Amino acid sequence: MVSPLDQCVHCGLCLSSCPTYLETGLEMESPRGRLVLLNLWAQAPEQRDAAISQWLDDCLDCRACEAVCPAHVPTGHLVEAWRGESEDAPRPGRAQRLLMRLIENPRGLKWLQRLGRWSQTRVGRSLVRWWLTGREDSPLRLQQGLPPLQSRRLSREQITSNHRGPGDLWLFVGCVMDAIYAGTNRHAADLLRLAGLTVVVDPRQRCCGALHWHNGQRAQAQQWAQENIEAFESSGCRMVVVDAAGCLTALREYPVLLAGTPYEARAHAFSQAVFDALEVLSQHPLPPLPDQGLTVTVHDACHHVHAQGIRHQPRFLLERAGYRLVEMANASQCCGSAGIYNLAHPDMSRALLAAKVRAIPPQAEVVSAANPGCLLHIQQGLAASGTPVTAQHPLDLLWHAYRSQGYLPGGGARE
Amino acid sequence: MNEWLSSLVDIVGAPYVITHPAALKTYAQDGYTLASGMPRAVVMPGNAEEARAVVKHLYRHRIPVVARGAGTSLSGGAIPSDGAVVLHFSRMRTIRHIDWTNQIVQVDPGVINAEVTRALEPYGYFYAPDPSSQQACTIGGNFAENSGGPHCLKYGVTLNHIVMADVILANGEAVRLGSLAGEPEGLDWLGVLVGSEGTLGIATQLWLKMTESPTQSRTLAALFDEVADASEAVSDVIASGIVPAALEMMDRLAISAVERGSYPVGYPDDLAAVLLLELDGEAAVVDEEVKLVIDLMQRHHVRQVREAQSLEERALWWANRKTAFGAMGLISPDYYVQDGVIPRHLLPDALAFIDRTARRYGIRIANVFHAGDGNLHPLLLFDAANPADVERVQAAGLDILAYCVKHGGSITGEHGIGLEKLDAVRWQFTEAELAAQAMIKRLWDPDGLLNPGKVLPTPGRCVDFRP
Ligand SMILES: Cc1cc2nc3c(=O)[nH]c(=O)nc-3n(C[C@H](O)[C@H](O)[C@H](O)COP(=O)(O)OP(=O)(O)OC[C@H]3O[C@@H](n4cnc5c(N)ncnc54)[C@H](O)[C@@H]3O)c2cc1C
Ligand code: SF4
Ligand code: SF4
Repeated sequence: MVSPLDQCVHCGLCLSSCPTYLETGLEMESPRGRLVLLNLWAQAPEQRDAAISQWLDDCLDCRACEAVCPAHVPTGHLVEAWRGESEDAPRPGRAQRLLMRLIENPRGLKWLQRLGRWSQTRVGRSLVRWWLTGREDSPLRLQQGLPPLQSRRLSREQITSNHRGPGDLWLFVGCVMDAIYAGTNRHAADLLRLAGLTVVVDPRQRCCGALHWHNGQRAQAQQWAQENIEAFESSGCRMVVVDAAGCLTALREYPVLLAGTPYEARAHAFSQAVFDALEVLSQHPLPPLPDQGLTVTVHDACHHVHAQGIRHQPRFLLERAGYRLVEMANASQCCGSAGIYNLAHPDMSRALLAAKVRAIPPQAEVVSAANPGCLLHIQQGLAASGTPVTAQHPLDLLWHAYRSQGYLPGGGARE
Repeated sequence: MNEWLSSLVDIVGAPYVITHPAALKTYAQDGYTLASGMPRAVVMPGNAEEARAVVKHLYRHRIPVVARGAGTSLSGGAIPSDGAVVLHFSRMRTIRHIDWTNQIVQVDPGVINAEVTRALEPYGYFYAPDPSSQQACTIGGNFAENSGGPHCLKYGVTLNHIVMADVILANGEAVRLGSLAGEPEGLDWLGVLVGSEGTLGIATQLWLKMTESPTQSRTLAALFDEVADASEAVSDVIASGIVPAALEMMDRLAISAVERGSYPVGYPDDLAAVLLLELDGEAAVVDEEVKLVIDLMQRHHVRQVREAQSLEERALWWANRKTAFGAMGLISPDYYVQDGVIPRHLLPDALAFIDRTARRYGIRIANVFHAGDGNLHPLLLFDAANPADVERVQAAGLDILAYCVKHGGSITGEHGIGLEKLDAVRWQFTEAELAAQAMIKRLWDPDGLLNPGKVLPTPGRCVDFRP
C-alpha cells in the first residue's frame, strides 16, 4: 500500500488550482509544498517551528488540489488531520472559540441568532461600525455580511414535519443555517415538498461537528456524529438532506471521523444516505419557469465543487427556474471564507475575497452561493465594495421564483 | 545578514526573499524525483526590472542562479545545484497584451500555459504548444525546455511559437532577441536560447504566436488488442501522408492507471493499447481523413474506434491522457519517465525492446507517448525507498536511451537534459559537437553561473542523488 504522502509524484499539476499558492506564489503555500512540510513535520520533529505550522495552517481545506491531483493525494485532508491532531497546530482564537461554543446546542444557537438580530438594529449597526473603524481584521466585520431581517426562531422550530408515515427526507438544519439562514432551511423544505417528497425535522439532530473536528476537538465531533447517526437510523427516513456545502461534506465524511470506532460501519451506511438539496431537486421534475428577469452568477462552494463534484446542479436548477446565468471567471476558486478560516487568517482571506468580488461579471445582479460561510463572506465583500449586487443561497432564489409563479403558498412573508 | 542577502531584500522586499530551511526544502526538487539540491535562497521578483537587478547583484558575488516556473520539469532542470539562488517567477504571471493585428500575445514568464489559450479561445484562437502539464507549467519553463505536446505533431513545438523574448544575461544585462516579424535577422540567437534550459539566459518577457482554431476537429479513440497492431497502425497513418493534429498512444499498464485517476473515460480493462487521434482543418477534408484513418485502423485489427461525441467528451479524453504521468502515483510510489525519440517506423520494434528491458530488469514499465512523432515516454515504476530499485530503473532507462541513439533517434524529445541525462549526452553528441556547445555556453555565461551543472556534462556535479 502506498501511503498518501508517498503517493505524491511531485508533478506540480495541483499548483495552479491552489488559491493560497496563486495568492502568495510560494511553494510552501502550495499543495506539493505542504506535502513536503508534512513529511518534514513527521520525520524531523526537531525542525518544527511556528513558520512551518503557519504555512500548513494557511491551507483552506478547499480541496481544489484533490480534485485535480492525478494520484488522488488527499492533501486537504492530510492538512486537516495534522491540524486536528498535532499539538503544535495553531489553536482557534477567541472569536472562533465563541462561535464554536454557540453552535454546540440550540440554546447557544438562539444566542447567535439574537446577536445577529441585535447587530442589525440601528443602535447595533452604529456600534459595530464604530468598533470596526481601524480594525480591519476584526471578526465582527462579518456582521456586514448578515442577511437582512433575521428570524426570531430557529428553523427547526419553524418547519413542521410531515407526520403521516415515515418521511422520505431527514432535513439536516445545521447550526449557522439553523440560526442565521433559518429562511433558507424553510425554503428547502418547501421546495422539497413541491417536488413531492416528505420532510422531517428531527429535534434530536446535532451540529455536524466539522468545526470542532477540524479544530482539535475530535472527540466532541465524534459524539455528535454518533447522535446524528442514531437519530437518523431510528427515524425511518430514506435520505439525509442538507443545504450547506460544508455540512454536506462533513456528514459524508463521517466514516473518516468515526474510523476505528464501533460506529464505523454505521457511518458508512449513513454517509451513503446523505444528499445535497440541490442534488435531490435536480433529480425531480420541478416545472420550468418563464424568465425571471434577473441575472445570476454562480460561485461554487469548495465543498460542493471540489469535494463532491457538485457543479452542474445549481446552474441547472436556476436556469429551469427562469434565471439568466452568466459565468464568472474562476467560479470554483475559494472565496476565502473556508469555514472559520476568515477569522484566523484575515489577510489571505481578504485577498481571496477581493479576487472573488472582482471576478463578478458586470451583468450579474446576484451571486449564488450554497454555503453559509461563503454567503456571509461574499456578502460582506460586496457590501464593502459598494455594489448593489447581493449574495444569495440558490434555494432562496428558487423559492422566490416558484412562489412568484404561484407554486408555493402565497404570503410566506418572512418574519 | 550577509550583504548579498540584505541587498536582495532591498531589491524585492523582505517577504520575497526566502531563507527558512524548511521553505528551501520545498524548492529542492521539481518533477524529477531522483535528485535534489538545496538552494541558498529563493527570490521572487515582482517585475523584469527587479529580476534583472537580482541577477546583476548575484553576478557581483558570483552566486549561481536557477530560474523556476512551476517546477514541473521532468529532468531536474529546476533543481538548484551548487547552492544556487532560485529565481521563482510565480509573481510575474500577467498576460500583458494581445495584439490581434499581428496575432501575438505578450506574456510574463510566470504565465501558465493553459491560461494563454483560455484568453484566446473565446475569439477563435489558441496557443498551440500544449504540454500535458499545461494546466500548471509556465511559458518561461516552456521557453527553456522547448516544450512540446500532443498537438505539436501538426502545429510545431515552442520554438515555432516564440517570436521575441526579453532575456537577462548572466551579468544582469538585458537584451531583446528575435522580432515581431518572426524572421531572425542575422544569427538566430533566440532559436539558440529556446530549449537551453535556463543555462544561457533568463526570459522576463515573451511574445507568442497565436494560432487560429480549426473550423472542424474530430477526436477518435482506437482500441487495440495488440500493442504491435497499434504501433503498426501509427506507422501507416504517418506513411499515408495525413498529418493528424495529435496522435497519442497508451498501453495497458498506463490505461489501468489513468482509469483509476481523476478522469476515467471507461476504456475496457483488457485493452492492450489505445490510440488517441485528432484530425482538424476544413470540414470536408477532415471527414475524408477520418474515413481513411478508420480504414487503416481496421486493417490492423482494431477492436473498436470511438469518436468523441461532444466537446465535453473530447476534453475528458484529453484530461485522461494528460494526467497519465501523475496517475502513476496510483500504481507505484515513484516513477521515472524517459523521453527518447526514435524514427517512427521503428515504433513496433522499440516497444518490443522496452518490454524486453522491463523483463530483464524485473521492473514494470508503462508507456504513454506522442506516437505521431516517435517521442517515447516509457514510465519506469519503482520505489525510492528501495536503493536497488532506483539503480535498476536508472540502468534500464539508460538502456532505452542507448537504443534510441543507436537507431538514429535522440535522448530527449521535449523534457530536456537537465540533470537527468547528463551521462547520456555523451552518446548523442560527438566530442566536437560537445565542444561547440561548451563554447556557446562560455560565450553567454563565462562564469558558469546560470543553472550550473545542467545540460552539458561537466566534471564534479554537486547534487545529492537519492537515496
Ligand atoms: C505530468 C507532466 C507532464 C508533462 N508533459 C510534458 C509534455 O507533454 N511535453 C513537454 O515538453 N514537457 C512535459 N512535461 C515537462 C514540463 O512540464 C515542461 O518541461 C515545462 O515546460 C516546464 O515548465 P515549468 O514552468 O514547470 O518550468 P520549471 O520546471 O520550473 O523549469 C524548467 C526549466 O526551465 C528553466 N526556466 C524556468 N523559467 C525560466 C525563465 N523564465 N527563463 C529561463 N529559464 C527558465 C528552469 O531553470 C529549468 O531549467 C511534463 C511534466 C509533467 C510533470
Ligand atoms: S499532490 Fe498530486 S498533483 Fe500535486 S504534485 Fe503531488 S501528485 Fe502532483
Ligand atoms: S486544500 Fe485548497 S488551500 Fe489547501 S493545499 Fe489544497 S488547494 Fe491549497
